[in-house]
Amino acid sequence: MSESCGAVSLSQSQSLPGVAGGSAMDMDPVEFTLRKRLPRKLPRRRNDVYVNMKTDFRAQLARCQKLLDSAGPGPREICIHGLGLAISRAINIALQLQACSQGALQLAANTSTVELVDDLEPEDPDEGETLTRTRNNSAIHIKVFYPQ
Amino acid sequence: MPYYFCTVSSGKSFSPSRSLWRRENVGEHDLDCALNPSPFPGLPEGVLEMRVKEGSKIRNLMGFAMARMQGEGAEQSGLRQVVFVGSGRAVTKTITCAEILKRRLGGLHQLTKVRYKSVREVWENREGGTPEVTVHRTVPAISILLSKDPLDPQEPGYQPPEAPMGLWGNPTINALLLCATRSKTRF
Repeated sequence: MSESCGAVSLSQSQSLPGVAGGSAMDMDPVEFTLRKRLPRKLPRRRNDVYVNMKTDFRAQLARCQKLLDSAGPGPREICIHGLGLAISRAINIALQLQACSQGALQLAANTSTVELVDDLEPEDPDEGETLTRTRNNSAIHIKVFYPQ
Repeated sequence: MPYYFCTVSSGKSFSPSRSLWRRENVGEHDLDCALNPSPFPGLPEGVLEMRVKEGSKIRNLMGFAMARMQGEGAEQSGLRQVVFVGSGRAVTKTITCAEILKRRLGGLHQLTKVRYKSVREVWENREGGTPEVTVHRTVPAISILLSKDPLDPQEPGYQPPEAPMGLWGNPTINALLLCATRSKTRF
């Protein structure tokens, strides 16, 4: 795998004279566009809420509050998940829910690591091949529940 | 002196552009450090506390924590417990440090606590002229306790050490299953 990486970057830097050479192992950032693949689809029960940075904060908070109030029979609890930058927001939502319940709710936070895959596509689709790079990101899972 | 209160939901009411404003190096004052001594019950004093800030380098933090946990030549076997503490923008980095340490040293029990932290920041104008602005913010804060000794599994936020090859080989699935088995709901 490392051999093919070196070969690809070397041939491309030779074709563009303005680009700095560097070692054979360097991947020239000009030549690749980074595409992040979405994280693996995780199972979703009715009480799972996945937090992101695009949706409005108040809307996510209202949704969590509604789920918690209308959980029906059985244990009244929801699980809030956040990945990367959304970890702060997930913690915020969980703490806001706790504050609104006047301390009746309890929180249990678990952390984990999620593997993400990036696709690196070269500028010319003809030359070179799409490379993939994996990286790790942190995730948090907060269970919000009424203690029995 | 103008005061701004940044509430949690609209935390962007004072977000100064860094070219015009500079935060004074007063040291952010944690307004309730006296009220929240330690979120972990029964934790002995003198446990290593790693304070993760926004600009901390993970390499430096991990080097220090690993050395302490594994023990240098003189000490017996290193420390048994370490706490990672972070707030605001450093929360993600705190979790990352804890996860890296868990991966390098297996068999660590984890206890995670989240809370709000009140912080006072003082910003001064770069060009001068305008008086300083004091901002009060409440930011989320996280404390992660990693311990070689077993902890109370009934404590909310407890996570047992990872099985060497997780059930589905993915730590996130394991964490989700942990939530599921606790609450006895099924996927």
